Amino acid sequence: MDWKSAFTRARRGLREERRLYLVAVSSLSVAFLCLAVALLFMQNLGALGERWGQSNHLSVYLADNASDTDVAQLRVVLEALPEVEQVQSVSSEQARAEFIAQSTMGEELSTLPADVFPASLEIEVASGTPVQRLESLSQRLGSFGSVAEVETYSSFFERLHSLLSAGRGLAMGLALLVSLCVLAVVGNTIRLAVARRTREIEVMKLCGATDSFVRRPFVLEGAFQGSMSAFLALLLLSAAFLVLRERADDMLTALMGMRLLFLSPLAMLGLLFGGALAGAVGSALSLRRYLVV
Amino acid sequence: MASGTDSGAPVVRPFPFFRAGVRTSPDAGTRPILELKGVSKYFQRDTPTLRGVDLTVQRGEFVFVTGASGAGKSTLLSLIYRKHTVDDGHIFFCGKDIARLTSRSIPFLRRNLGVVFQDFKVISHWTVFENVAVALEILAMPRRLVRARVAEALERVGLSGRGGETTENLSGGEQQRVAVARAIVTEPALILADEPTGNLDSHLAIDILTLFEEINETGTTVLFATHDHSLIAKRDHRLVSIEDGRAVEARRGLSSWPGSGLHALVG
Repeated sequence: MDWKSAFTRARRGLREERRLYLVAVSSLSVAFLCLAVALLFMQNLGALGERWGQSNHLSVYLADNASDTDVAQLRVVLEALPEVEQVQSVSSEQARAEFIAQSTMGEELSTLPADVFPASLEIEVASGTPVQRLESLSQRLGSFGSVAEVETYSSFFERLHSLLSAGRGLAMGLALLVSLCVLAVVGNTIRLAVARRTREIEVMKLCGATDSFVRRPFVLEGAFQGSMSAFLALLLLSAAFLVLRERADDMLTALMGMRLLFLSPLAMLGLLFGGALAGAVGSALSLRRYLVV
Repeated sequence: MASGTDSGAPVVRPFPFFRAGVRTSPDAGTRPILELKGVSKYFQRDTPTLRGVDLTVQRGEFVFVTGASGAGKSTLLSLIYRKHTVDDGHIFFCGKDIARLTSRSIPFLRRNLGVVFQDFKVISHWTVFENVAVALEILAMPRRLVRARVAEALERVGLSGRGGETTENLSGGEQQRVAVARAIVTEPALILADEPTGNLDSHLAIDILTLFEEINETGTTVLFATHDHSLIAKRDHRLVSIEDGRAVEARRGLSSWPGSGLHALVG
């Protein structure tokens, strides 16, 4: 295998057909940009799903007749549990004051009596605690006489989680569709480039070149085009991402409870290598019909 | 290097014949360089382009292959450099049946042939040097040797010192010389010229023919397909005509074959 010669010929091909390759790389960059955007959506939806999809908060509403001793005992028991990170007591008055402060209808609600708002223990559990463990904890707490109700918020988070899963699936489908389009664009663009060089292929074949000798520089050129296009797409995406984050980061953080994430290094590497692979495969496939001389 | 001396001149064959590890017959050096036995080729069913062609070419020979347009001259040559496959018969090149070569072995056959075409088949945006050197690059020859061999080939075709010029700036005759240089740079045993003067005026045609004759004088066998009777008439080489799909032998040149109908055939 004479790779040095293949590299030399690939370099010559890129130099001689630079205009064509510039057009090809531009077209391919747009295709890769679409793919990168779809991946970015997937990544952020995934993170959002992870962030929102699991509850790490429990509200234990205390019965009206719960004595201070019962509540103190309950608190000691809860704090001893390994998955519980923090327990905070909220009295009826505190709950009422918090509600009125957060509500936009403060004036009207200020007349409500404090006992409308039950006292509670607000429990923060360690993140990553399995849902089943929370459910069993909730059941056990419910059996205490001083506990009126336990709210795990699980039904809300389940609905949200399924909504996010659907969104993620949609983004994944889109990414798949865009990948197919990228392959088609890569194949057709490289086919155009190869078609312009049929004479070169014919001459080499007539001089006794093997198929692999002819194919190698084209495959290298295809790989270079693909990776270059993916790299340009990543550059464009990161520029757009920085602009978006600068302008709307606060709003998005408030809405989603998390900062926007860029593609992971693995996804970026995957895009670059995927681009190179798509270019190389597209080139090799486009060449097939021209190799019969 | 292997060599045969049927015509007294050495036939240089510096590259692995067909494919590494594949042996040719022991008497390959003494057998004719090319033997066609009962070769038929059909492009259309029931109307063969070639039917049972028998032809033997000895080492170091210069053979004109002629015939009317569409008679099958190019087809005959294309069967030898294996652009097409024979439908029937055998083609022995240095004793090996190339009609039955696998597609993987075809490049190795072509490294032992030089092929020149009417349309030159040079790459216009490459330099003269690059156009000739490509044949050696395929053989993974060291760069220094490539430079020396290309310079030598360009000198032989009268383009010495013009390696740096872009081919598209050359005249038709010069482009054909580049093609000839590419064909001879590997020192092949056999050169197939398919209407190499078809796109050139009569003076340039004679120049190119003379060039092939000079190459032939060094021992390389030349099969020169042409329908240009003026060229054939000027030389006294062996003449084979393709008539009705068969190879018809004439003794020497067109002038020694009066009344054969060949004058009418070729114009």
